[in-house]
Amino acid sequence: MQKLRYLSTFGLIVLVALFLTVSDVKAEVGVTDTSILVGCSNSFSGPLVYPGTQLVNNGLKGYFGYINAQGGVNGRKILTQFYDDGYKPQNAVANSKRLVEQDKVFAILASQGTGPVMATVKYLTQNKVPLLFPFQGVPLSGQKTIFTSFTPYPNQSELVVTWLVKVKGFKRIGILYQDDKYGYTFRDPGQKMLQKFGLKWVAAESYKRGAKDLSAQVAKLRKANLDAVLLVATPPPGATFLKEAHKQGWKNTRIISSGPLTDEKYINLTGGVGEGVWGLSLWPDPVHSQDPAVVEYREIMQKYGKDRDKTPNRYSLYGYFYAKLFVEGLKRAGKNVTRESFIAALEGIKDWESGMIPPVSFSGTNHLTQNSGFMVEVQQGVFRPISGWLTLKEGTLVPLK
Amino acid sequence: MQLSGKWKILSWTGALVVLLIMPLFLGKYSVFLLSLLAIYALVSLGLNLLMGYTGQIAAGHAGFLAIGAYVTAIFTANFEWLPCPVTLLLAGTISGIIGFLLGIPILRLKGFYIAMATLAFGVVVSEIILQWSSLTGGDDGFSVPAARIGGFVFDSDFKLFYLIIPVTIIMTLLAKNLVNGYIGRAFIALRESEIAAQTIGVDLAKYKTIAFAISAFYTGVAGGLFAYLITYLSPDAFTIELSIDFIAMIVIGGMGSILGSIIGAVILTGMQQMLAGLLDLQVLIFGLSLIIFMIFMPKGIVGMLSDLRERFS
Repeated sequence: MQKLRYLSTFGLIVLVALFLTVSDVKAEVGVTDTSILVGCSNSFSGPLVYPGTQLVNNGLKGYFGYINAQGGVNGRKILTQFYDDGYKPQNAVANSKRLVEQDKVFAILASQGTGPVMATVKYLTQNKVPLLFPFQGVPLSGQKTIFTSFTPYPNQSELVVTWLVKVKGFKRIGILYQDDKYGYTFRDPGQKMLQKFGLKWVAAESYKRGAKDLSAQVAKLRKANLDAVLLVATPPPGATFLKEAHKQGWKNTRIISSGPLTDEKYINLTGGVGEGVWGLSLWPDPVHSQDPAVVEYREIMQKYGKDRDKTPNRYSLYGYFYAKLFVEGLKRAGKNVTRESFIAALEGIKDWESGMIPPVSFSGTNHLTQNSGFMVEVQQGVFRPISGWLTLKEGTLVPLK
Repeated sequence: MQLSGKWKILSWTGALVVLLIMPLFLGKYSVFLLSLLAIYALVSLGLNLLMGYTGQIAAGHAGFLAIGAYVTAIFTANFEWLPCPVTLLLAGTISGIIGFLLGIPILRLKGFYIAMATLAFGVVVSEIILQWSSLTGGDDGFSVPAARIGGFVFDSDFKLFYLIIPVTIIMTLLAKNLVNGYIGRAFIALRESEIAAQTIGVDLAKYKTIAFAISAFYTGVAGGLFAYLITYLSPDAFTIELSIDFIAMIVIGGMGSILGSIIGAVILTGMQQMLAGLLDLQVLIFGLSLIIFMIFMPKGIVGMLSDLRERFS
């Protein structure tokens, strides 16, 4: 037995060593004459599995499949490598190190989730690996190698509040928010905006993560006699709130869903009581929009999408859009692409028309892709636009397009 | 068959040398992964002392890991001059004290009720981290400064390897001594039969709380190393799932075995890393392989090995 033990310990160590000695050598990080490798750590299990699989399998892989079928970019096929982190920051760190040091990716593209993304920022920045368009809404600016994606949460909150006050003339506005950082990034900027108009949250109620019962909050908000209430929640409690409001017969207040709630899945969860809800949409309707660019998205997803579930949705649209923007940067960087020349090429993008969101411009100091949205209303289970594209410039609403 | 003393020393030294020179031949990611394996092995070891040796089901060790990690992060950020072994010792001690305190009310509980209580403990810890944001950074997370001893800064995975591996080896040897000594025998007696243990003079309350404290100490130190290696902490890292993973490690490796703890940690973490590239399929494969382990090796790998030996000798 003793001998067996020592042998197995020794064998184990040797085995691990063999496991790990996988080395490959490339001339340029992630780039060869015929290929370029990008990847990310994302959620293929855990709470964000649906956004993760749709974003990667359909969005990124779908669009890159389409581009590769046409011969790639500058003669290079786009190769991808993904790892699952299950929304755990430590796994995201391990995966990112693996992508950078073992797989030698050119850039990290569209990783997901505030915690996992934040955990990798320091490491990626120190190693000068581009972190492109992570799917999360907390502002991240000031780094040359980081480009961010959608309208940050504080900006969304300011935009919605300004629209309600200036366009709709609402005065009595309340908020229900999740009692954590996510909730505060809506509550606090919204409050500052209201103060500019001489107003404040007339009622502010919160709930703990994972709460199942929101009846007390609904009753209190209802009593406050509001014009509108901002709903800052994740989909399950968001749906609970709508059902509870419906049950209590609360009709005279407009409910405005925020952030990731403007999503078809969430409206389905409410079982039909979501009618009349407003929200800020960052995307054209992936299912119903007849804009040529969205029609093309649906066709490409059907043909090249890699997931079992190819129903159009905002997450695969996200992946598709940012894959397209990545390809645009790659084209502009030319044949002799390096990380530096690629970043310079992205920074050179001015008024790029995607046909999906307002024109995109970057600069040496601005690495934010989108800072806009439009208001929608749920009619027969579908988000219908009730405003054009809007953005905030120095506190005033500016229509776009 | 007993190895002679000379061979024993030789084979151990050989293994040690291989382990210590390994980073010279490996990629950076592999060095990082080895360090992560060592940290999880340490947790698994701590958990095995409590679950495998003493028979107390603990389903909240992610909580102790979190305590160790945050204590280390907070001390390192605020008292830069503290040498990191002192910080790690502090992390282990604070975690150990909390483990001891948790052990006291749990004395009244038995079997699965202990699992429930420890499970709740894990959830409470991550909720406290979330709410006490002035100290922990809450949801914003906590960026951990590099470990240092005097002027020497452990600022790369390569350097951290030589902090993490020695700590792991020392603590493994300590655990080995512990279980072979009086305390270890008391633990095992407790696990086999509380009544019998009492009749031969083992103080139940004392040894149960000691087991909790030691287990929490090990996990706390592992948490400190975890903080240094991962460099960013947030409550999302310390979930129930992680606690369950730790239990899976000792079940796969072998309950009540030091070697089993290490094997289990290596296999589970290695498997997760290898499967991470299979994306949505990995959950299925991971689950299936756990079932297979349970069916064919109910006593873990070490248990199976000793069964095999008995059959053939």
